[in-house]
Amino acid sequence: MSGLQTIINASNGLLIDRRKVVGIQYTRNEIPRVSQTPTKNPWKFTLDVPNSFRYSEGRALMEALDTLDRTTPQVVTFSNLAAFNWMFSYQGAMTSGQLATIAVTSWTGNTLTLNVSGITAASTAVIFQPNDLIQIGSSNQYPYPFTSTTQVLRGSGSTVVVTTSRPNILTGTLTGLGIIVGNNCQFRMFCPNMPTYKLTVGGYVGNGTTTTNNALLEFSDSFELYEWVGAA
Amino acid sequence: MENIPAVSGNKLLVINAEFIKLTIYNDVSNSANTSVYTFSSAYQEETIDGQVYTPLGGLLAVGVQQRDLRTTSADTSITLSGIDGNNIYAALGTKIKGSKIEITRGFYNNNYVLANTAHRFTGIVTSYNIGEDLQLIEDTDNFTVTVNASSFKSVLENRIAGRKTNPASWQVFNSTDSSMNNIYSISDQNFDFGKAPLKKASTNSAAAQESQITNESTQTSGY
Repeated sequence: MSGLQTIINASNGLLIDRRKVVGIQYTRNEIPRVSQTPTKNPWKFTLDVPNSFRYSEGRALMEALDTLDRTTPQVVTFSNLAAFNWMFSYQGAMTSGQLATIAVTSWTGNTLTLNVSGITAASTAVIFQPNDLIQIGSSNQYPYPFTSTTQVLRGSGSTVVVTTSRPNILTGTLTGLGIIVGNNCQFRMFCPNMPTYKLTVGGYVGNGTTTTNNALLEFSDSFELYEWVGAA
Repeated sequence: MENIPAVSGNKLLVINAEFIKLTIYNDVSNSANTSVYTFSSAYQEETIDGQVYTPLGGLLAVGVQQRDLRTTSADTSITLSGIDGNNIYAALGTKIKGSKIEITRGFYNNNYVLANTAHRFTGIVTSYNIGEDLQLIEDTDNFTVTVNASSFKSVLENRIAGRKTNPASWQVFNSTDSSMNNIYSISDQNFDFGKAPLKKASTNSAAAQESQITNESTQTSGY
């Protein structure tokens, strides 16, 4: 068991928070005025975990969570289980071979320009649908995915422009790097509220003849995962 | 008046970040010997007037800056993350008091590209405070560094300025200025004009001068 990934795999509720930092005021004639601070806009997940772990089976998990504590990030994915494959699945029409030919031309602000000259497809072919996850580089290179906010078609040029959900927070040289999409994307998260756990008597394991004393793990709170963007 | 297109025309959405530049003067006799720290609330490094502002500088909060039509001498404060050891070092290990603080507001367009900047505050650090918030029950321990700054106007108001009434002070700007050459003759004396000095001079040169004055005074009274 590997800590936060196990928690994701066992969760039965997921709250996604991608809200930006804003200030809102309403004038006396009810006109809203909004200001925004352009932060790194991290992903925030709140995971509900049922009391389904037996103590005897969860000791490695407890140790992993205690080791991570509230200080250590871990790279996680939502595609480990078939039960989650639908959640961030790629919605475009490109094959994995076509996607592998895409390379980053530039990424300034929230405007990502991709070189798609290697894709031979109709101009109306969909490369990205809104909410498609995109990650720059290879698997573990930049585990800070973002989404496409609009539908992106192949068009006829050698490049396409993707309006991203958050601006470019990556500090490395991105030109020429490939992309990863959908379920292949990974998130580097840490858990600033790392819940504690309570052992409740139960979860006996029997072999038909005898039963072994056991307990169920009950976590004190939901797991609030926060993206570790300081290392992006 | 400074023109900021990003906020002109009653914009309903303004995207902006704060950029702080802290210039610490390491040597009072050498204004070029400085250490510069930058902080910002932006999402990426930005370069303003040739200065790179890092987004990981540990900026937590910027205090209110008073906005007036006339120049005012309002103070402000800047709160920095004390978890970043560099910030505690900047407060304890450097000559931070007297450092120059400059606050700039940067305005972004809808594509999160820095479009304009506007200078907001220039001042001098007058004090700092390092605070610790230890919550043993919640197992948290947070440090913050708060830097208080006065505006230049406030500093100028409190400045003691002027020249001393001696030749050296008057000749700082003009070495041939002789206005104070005879000042020693009346040093330490209480003058009641029209009468002889009441107290004797304390130096030989002043005594000689005094003798001359006394003689002149006697001659004058003889007429």
